[in-house]
Amino acid sequence: MFKLSHIPFIITIVLYFTSTVWSIGSIVCPHFFNKKVAKWTMMMGFFVHSGFLVFLGLESGNIPITNVYESFISLLWCVLFVYINLDYLYKLPSLDTFLVPLVTALSIWAMTFDGGNLIITVSLQNFWLVAHIIPIFVGYAAFTISFSLSIMYLTQQRQLKLKLFGALFNKLPSLEGIDKLMWKTLSLGFPLLTLGLVFGAFWVRTQNILGDMWYLDYKVILGLATWLTYAALLHMRLVASFHGTKVACMTIAGFCLVLFTFIGTFFMGSKHAFQKTNEPTHIEVLKERMP
Amino acid sequence: MSIIVVGLNHKSAPVEIREKLAFNANNIPAALSQFLQKYPSSEAVILSTCNRVEMYVSSLEGTLKFEDILAFLSEFHKIEMNYLSTYLYHYIDDRAVNHLFFVAASLDSMVLGESQILSQVKEAYTIASVEEATGKVLNQLFQQSLNAAKLVHTKTSLGKGKVSISSVAVEFAEKIFQDFTGKTVLVVGAGEMCELLIKHLYEEGARTFVVANRTFERAQELANAYQGQAIKYELLGEYLAKADIIISSTSAPHYVIHVDQVKEAIKHRRGNPMFLIDIAVPRDIEPGIANIDNVYLYNIDDLQSVVAQNIDERTREIEKCRSLIEEEVEHFMARLEEMKIEPAITHLRNHFHNIGKEELNRLKPKLKEVGNEDWEQVVYTMERTINKLLHHPAKVAKQEAKNGGGYRYVETIKKLFGIFHHHSNPPHQ
Repeated sequence: MFKLSHIPFIITIVLYFTSTVWSIGSIVCPHFFNKKVAKWTMMMGFFVHSGFLVFLGLESGNIPITNVYESFISLLWCVLFVYINLDYLYKLPSLDTFLVPLVTALSIWAMTFDGGNLIITVSLQNFWLVAHIIPIFVGYAAFTISFSLSIMYLTQQRQLKLKLFGALFNKLPSLEGIDKLMWKTLSLGFPLLTLGLVFGAFWVRTQNILGDMWYLDYKVILGLATWLTYAALLHMRLVASFHGTKVACMTIAGFCLVLFTFIGTFFMGSKHAFQKTNEPTHIEVLKERMP
Repeated sequence: MSIIVVGLNHKSAPVEIREKLAFNANNIPAALSQFLQKYPSSEAVILSTCNRVEMYVSSLEGTLKFEDILAFLSEFHKIEMNYLSTYLYHYIDDRAVNHLFFVAASLDSMVLGESQILSQVKEAYTIASVEEATGKVLNQLFQQSLNAAKLVHTKTSLGKGKVSISSVAVEFAEKIFQDFTGKTVLVVGAGEMCELLIKHLYEEGARTFVVANRTFERAQELANAYQGQAIKYELLGEYLAKADIIISSTSAPHYVIHVDQVKEAIKHRRGNPMFLIDIAVPRDIEPGIANIDNVYLYNIDDLQSVVAQNIDERTREIEKCRSLIEEEVEHFMARLEEMKIEPAITHLRNHFHNIGKEELNRLKPKLKEVGNEDWEQVVYTMERTINKLLHHPAKVAKQEAKNGGGYRYVETIKKLFGIFHHHSNPPHQ
């Protein structure tokens, strides 16, 4: 179902896709594909993406998470926002080759959620909501980047093991370097996720958003599982000082859980803050119950 | 104006001759000043490395011959001239330029594409210019050679890929470890190859070396050279877990490091990677070790195949480099032709301006009531007219000179305008 309002995000996807092609091309065939093109198309995509979110926000008068589609593209915006900042701080060579394709693919997937009738059921001017959503989104963004780094780690590790010394081998940084960055992104994401979950818990307790059985909500359960996975991972790193392949594999598992918590729960019919429009919303139900 | 190079290299002369003719930083200035005393209107640069000794000379009148330089070299080093000349090569003008560009771009080096020669050329030029032995021509030539070399290195993959076993090994280590500070290098055996690797790792920042060898004294010797620690050969197993990089090159007929040992060691390392380099034949490290997680094992064949591949890749680039250099030589020769005509154009300008001045001097007394400002306008107009008149011919002459007609144009200009100035500038101005 094509709408005029899709155009900016389609442009964004086209730019991300161009960036993907160029960032992969700059490794495979550096004479033809200029790395700078990859960088600038990504930046241009990011600006259009930002503009689109501002537009959505102004249109609805809320932060753009009023439905699943908007939340998804807001999350993707966070991923790039965190990436651009980290790249500026730490210089992450060739990470875009792993991250931008992922963002492009997720962006295309996000498109399929538009037109879904799930909309948010609570007031977006709520302090708790912002305190719940923003840390979690930035945390998820950090986990997305650590996922890309894990893929990069395992790729480089495989190349070293199998003695495949191609163009990609030369472009990628050292295993130790990737490992350190993975650690940095994880230690950024985890406190934020914790904070977001704590605020979420406060919110749900004080305002009874998800009903009395809130702890049986899929998203709550999976969120907790995600938290535990990353807690275990950080424990491995901090206490047992684990490195290498195992950490990379667990980071990948953690990200799969993140994605499942974020999107998968909708397929399972979670009503976590979103509601099918043709049913009475929670708030309405709550109102009805009130005397 | 001509450029000559006389010299020998690893291809033309054996080391016995090269060392006889070699200069060092101390006697190059003396040699240059002696040469310039003998041939005052020339410029000279001496390039002396372990693989080549070359003397680049530019003479303004173009009268200097190869034999003169040969005579100078044989006199300076007291080597018999006929004997020396059998090992020397010499090139003139564009071929000399081509040769220098080849040398600077490391196309003439023993190890194709190595980067050291570029800094050696730079240094040779710096010494000569400090000694004021270079002038317009060699200044241009050497600057251009450095540019050409950089161009070749950026536009081709001539300098890419390491071409020695030890540098390839270090390159792999760099793909595992971010830096070597704080990393422990365990060295088993104390052969020449080990030492080369240690040296390379030391240069890249590694500081903790542990050396184990059958003869403890030799281990101590090597360890001392790099502020390392020598250990008894029997204690090798205990140090495995601490080692990030292990280099082994013993002459033992059996494996020295076994799968069980490394499996045990990696447990203690908690997933921190371990890099093992086996440069011994027969092999020292059990090949099965390569299958352990977070352990990376490379043997001499792995390293050698990468070296061979890289050399191959460099060799394949030669043709591309050659055509790049040819272009650069052409540019330089054009510039040289242009330079030849410059003195003539300067003289032409002076000639015109002198005439102008004379005429103005004649005019001034005739104009009684002319103010200072008005007079300045008159002078300005005169200068402007002359410059405008000369602009086009100078441009055309320079352009034509680029195509090689420099000398003819100089003569024509002189003849047409009656300039009989001998254009011999001293070289260092």
